[in-house]
Amino acid sequence: MTGLALQVRDLHVSYGPMRAVDGISLDINEGEIFGLLGPNGAGKTSTLSAIEGLLKPTSGSILIRQVDVRANPRKAKALIGVQLQSTSFQSELKISEIVKLYAGLYGVPLTKPAIFDSLAEIHLGDEASRRFSQLSGGQQKRLSLLIATIHDPPLVLLDEPTSGLDPQARRQLWDRIERIRKSGRSILLTTHSMEEAQSVCDRVAIMNRGKILTVDTPAGLIEKHKKDPNVLAVARGQVTLEDVFIGLTGRELRD
Amino acid sequence: MLTFALPLILLVATGLGKNSAVLGGPAFRISLALTVGLVSIGTVGYSLAIARDRDTGVFQRLRVTPAPSWTIMVSRWIVQLGAVLVMAIVVLVVAAVFVGITLRPQNYLFTVLIALLGSAVFLSIGQAIVGLIASADTLNAAGRLLYVPLIGLSLFGDSDRLGTTVELVSRWSPGGCLETLLSAAMGATAWSGQSWGALFASTGYTLLFAVIGIRWFQWGAR
Repeated sequence: MTGLALQVRDLHVSYGPMRAVDGISLDINEGEIFGLLGPNGAGKTSTLSAIEGLLKPTSGSILIRQVDVRANPRKAKALIGVQLQSTSFQSELKISEIVKLYAGLYGVPLTKPAIFDSLAEIHLGDEASRRFSQLSGGQQKRLSLLIATIHDPPLVLLDEPTSGLDPQARRQLWDRIERIRKSGRSILLTTHSMEEAQSVCDRVAIMNRGKILTVDTPAGLIEKHKKDPNVLAVARGQVTLEDVFIGLTGRELRD
Repeated sequence: MLTFALPLILLVATGLGKNSAVLGGPAFRISLALTVGLVSIGTVGYSLAIARDRDTGVFQRLRVTPAPSWTIMVSRWIVQLGAVLVMAIVVLVVAAVFVGITLRPQNYLFTVLIALLGSAVFLSIGQAIVGLIASADTLNAAGRLLYVPLIGLSLFGDSDRLGTTVELVSRWSPGGCLETLLSAAMGATAWSGQSWGALFASTGYTLLFAVIGIRWFQWGAR
């Protein structure tokens, strides 16, 4: 860990009168996988969208490797790789053309063999001439992740990267996320899966109603909150990360 | 289908039987075919393509890249202008080779230029529709509903068969202005004060609808 890949300070995001993100601050170290956990509507995607430059924060600062996202949006965008929660690519393009297009948008010239090599690496070598909509959910996620990292960004943002995947596809994607980290990049991901948070993340923040309630390693969160009465009330035996999550964010359903 | 087949069908069909004499001369047949093609590309095709890409998240994916937002939209316009160019050339070639309607060389060039100007009018109308209507399904229905009056109005700019009010509205509608300009471009009528008026009105329509479309446009699905 040599420095900060991402620094967020007192971030506020509002949609009209509704505060989606209410003054959060967080740091992500270089080479770290950081997870944002929270129920639906907690503000995870709004936080990511503000970092990605898709929406304008009401206030606060976001620095990606010391580059201010609001002051230098294009420079900041060149430093991040993004996998959105629901992504689609141009329906008229083949997979190989999509890879070429997005590499070009990041200023990465890819030769035809290089495109096929990168597709083969994610087991999509035989699908190069198919369209995005013709791929399975797992294949689509793998392609999205490839495109998110095609320019070798120092920070990768993944919004629920494994939602809707079967266990095999999920494990494959975790392996790939781990490989991305091993290449020195930092990752900020949102997830609803406690298993994913424990298996993949170095540190986890639990968000609720636009605020970060707690931040620590998955084991550290359990240790820190295992005696919390709200956590004990929902625990069924030994306290798990899920018990901590539900204990802190409440049992009621969110839409 | 709408973009290429319908203009060509109209080009041929308006020359059959008594239709040709009732509706207008050769220049009218070409300008009607071009107008139908331009409305199809700009108002229906473009707006629907943009709405679908917005619904599926294609725009959001592009916007997280360092590419400036305006280049994303300009690239779409360039594609549409390319389609207009191809459509106009196909209509003019079919008119010359299969229907026997030929123009002087300078009139061909002028006609293509006016077609591109007309495409700006209808693309901006498409942009306004996609800015004001959030869902692709609703937009599809609205585009089809607008399609008929936009083309219908362009039919009666030179005729008072439905009364002078309809003629006036028709003449100064986006399609009517385009008909006037195309007629002058093809040499069927002289370039006149009415042509200048149609040119200014078309420019005004383009600016008005573009401002509406850009002001209310949202990149993500609402």
